[in-house]
Amino acid sequence: MGVKTSHYYWLVAPAALMVAIFFLYPLAFSLYSAVSAESGQFTLAHLEKIFELYSTDILFTLIIVLSSVVILAVLSISIAALITLSPFRSVVTLLGFLYRLPLFIPFIVTAQMMRTFLAKNGLMNNAFIASGLMTPMDTVSFLGWSGIIITFVWKQLAFTTLLISGAMAALDESQIRAARNLGASRVRILINIILPQVAPTIGVSLVLSTVTMMSVLSVPLMIGTGTPTMISADMAFRVNSYGDYSVANALGLVSYVLCAGLAWFYLRQSLEDKGVRS
Amino acid sequence: MFTKTKIAVIATIGLAQFSAVAQAETVLNVATAGSQNMVDYVKTYLAPKFEAMHPDVKIKVVGTGPGDAGSHKIFEKLSAQKDSNQENWDIDVAVVHQKVGGEMVNEGLLANYRNDISTGALVTRDSAKNALGTNVEGYVMPMFHSQTAIAYNSAFVKNPPKSYDELVTWTQKHPKAFGYNGIKNGMSGVSFVTGWIYAYGSDANTLSSQSYDSQKKNEWNQAFTDLKAFNQNVTFTPGNAGTLDMLNRGEIFMGPVWVDMFYSWKDQGKIPPTMKLALIGPGMPGQPMYYVTPSKAAHPQLAREFITLATSPEVQAEGIVKRFNWYPGIDADNVKSKLDKASWEKLFAEITPSDLAKYGKSFPIAEYFDDIKEGYERKVSN
Repeated sequence: MGVKTSHYYWLVAPAALMVAIFFLYPLAFSLYSAVSAESGQFTLAHLEKIFELYSTDILFTLIIVLSSVVILAVLSISIAALITLSPFRSVVTLLGFLYRLPLFIPFIVTAQMMRTFLAKNGLMNNAFIASGLMTPMDTVSFLGWSGIIITFVWKQLAFTTLLISGAMAALDESQIRAARNLGASRVRILINIILPQVAPTIGVSLVLSTVTMMSVLSVPLMIGTGTPTMISADMAFRVNSYGDYSVANALGLVSYVLCAGLAWFYLRQSLEDKGVRS
Repeated sequence: MFTKTKIAVIATIGLAQFSAVAQAETVLNVATAGSQNMVDYVKTYLAPKFEAMHPDVKIKVVGTGPGDAGSHKIFEKLSAQKDSNQENWDIDVAVVHQKVGGEMVNEGLLANYRNDISTGALVTRDSAKNALGTNVEGYVMPMFHSQTAIAYNSAFVKNPPKSYDELVTWTQKHPKAFGYNGIKNGMSGVSFVTGWIYAYGSDANTLSSQSYDSQKKNEWNQAFTDLKAFNQNVTFTPGNAGTLDMLNRGEIFMGPVWVDMFYSWKDQGKIPPTMKLALIGPGMPGQPMYYVTPSKAAHPQLAREFITLATSPEVQAEGIVKRFNWYPGIDADNVKSKLDKASWEKLFAEITPSDLAKYGKSFPIAEYFDDIKEGYERKVSN
């Protein structure tokens, strides 16, 4: 009472200032650098160059990220559903513990782990050979695109499952009970009652995972082999090898656009869900 | 109100004490680019030696990361301090790659110190004067020289190729048994590709010592087309260490590696003893790492003393050659007398000094180097 609203702006100021200095300014600067020549004139040369050199890599990144997201969605929804609906509580407790593990392992450690696990003569294939399921001649290396997808899914699974199972747990249980009383199967309960209500959370978790995967450098560098590679590896290469920030920023622009597209799609969905119409 | 004042007073006293402690000894800041083994070398070998000689000096070692990127960070930091007109820059000694060393001299970031130190006369090789086309005479002292070569498993490969031509034939007979890491995952692959251009594009001498001709890259089209075909028969590895990993697991039988990394891994038993090296013709590139000191280092005298110690024949023999398996930075003749015969022979057992002289090339000058990498991106991997 008696405090003017303008005072509240002061409360927001430190956070807003941090965002402006450490996020908005570098963002604006990198966008500017992506479309300007050294003399400061507007140019599309950098963008032309990335489409000439890296169009396959951009496509590759999209395919990798999208397929990871699809697998991620299927797996994390199944695990979350199991946790919410399974009658076997001990299994649920174990699962609840196991799925959280990757949450605490950094990407670079995951990548190093997968590098020894997925290699042609790595831990996984050696285990198959030792158990007699395979001969050394049949082994294939998963280092490459498949390895990148496996690593992304393994690492992000914990995060998405955590969010989705949290949302499922927060649902009003009386609805599930009511449906059960009317004879609905578990699968039906999942599809008709739970999923529609947690869809926004699934959206959030998948969009956030996409953005994370787009930004990870260690995984494509350590597990990817040669070409094509992901945009993040190309950006690092442009900077480290040529000292060429403009083309790296142009690549950054492409990944902003990809992420912004997703964010737009998601925001529109969630606003519509809330009944806001433009 | 009183509490606030008290807190302020206590904080001030605390800070004053802290800075008093910090001033009690001089801190010499050493920044080193390169892989972890280089940071280890400075931190565990050089720094204790220097601190023993100067009890009042504390050495702070910072590793800035592998590859040219690590050197670039040092470059950017010094350049920022120069642009903001700082009196003293906070790096006293830096270890940088050849390419960035040249750029730093061009930007006027480095001190011309070689004539000030007693070991300055012990190095005569070309790479101490010319860094990929830039005249760096006086500004740099080579720390060590590293070289790329082809590693192979002698248990399976009886007659290793002696040239790029023979390697191409070998990969046709043994598809996927040769592996390298492309150009985006580490320098050993970049080096292999550079060697390819030396063999089938323009020779090493033209590209590493003559002035830049932007038309030159048009002569390499066939070389890149051939490399693309060659790539069909090879396995791609995930990095410098990745190539050694795959050699170790028997997933590939041959691949380009850094000689020093190879020897270190062999010493530690991380690759089988049957692994051997071959430096193939017409040659593969290698590069020195440079000791440099910024022109506005806070402790210029100590920095010079540090570099003198680091480039003395004793330290080069014991540290660089014996412990870390690098080729010495100062002229080998000055080091040989300080070493036992076994260590000396181990270093040159697989690549003889004459092979090294014949096939050990420099990297090309910066512009050609960029042309090679971009040509690869455009014509081979695209």
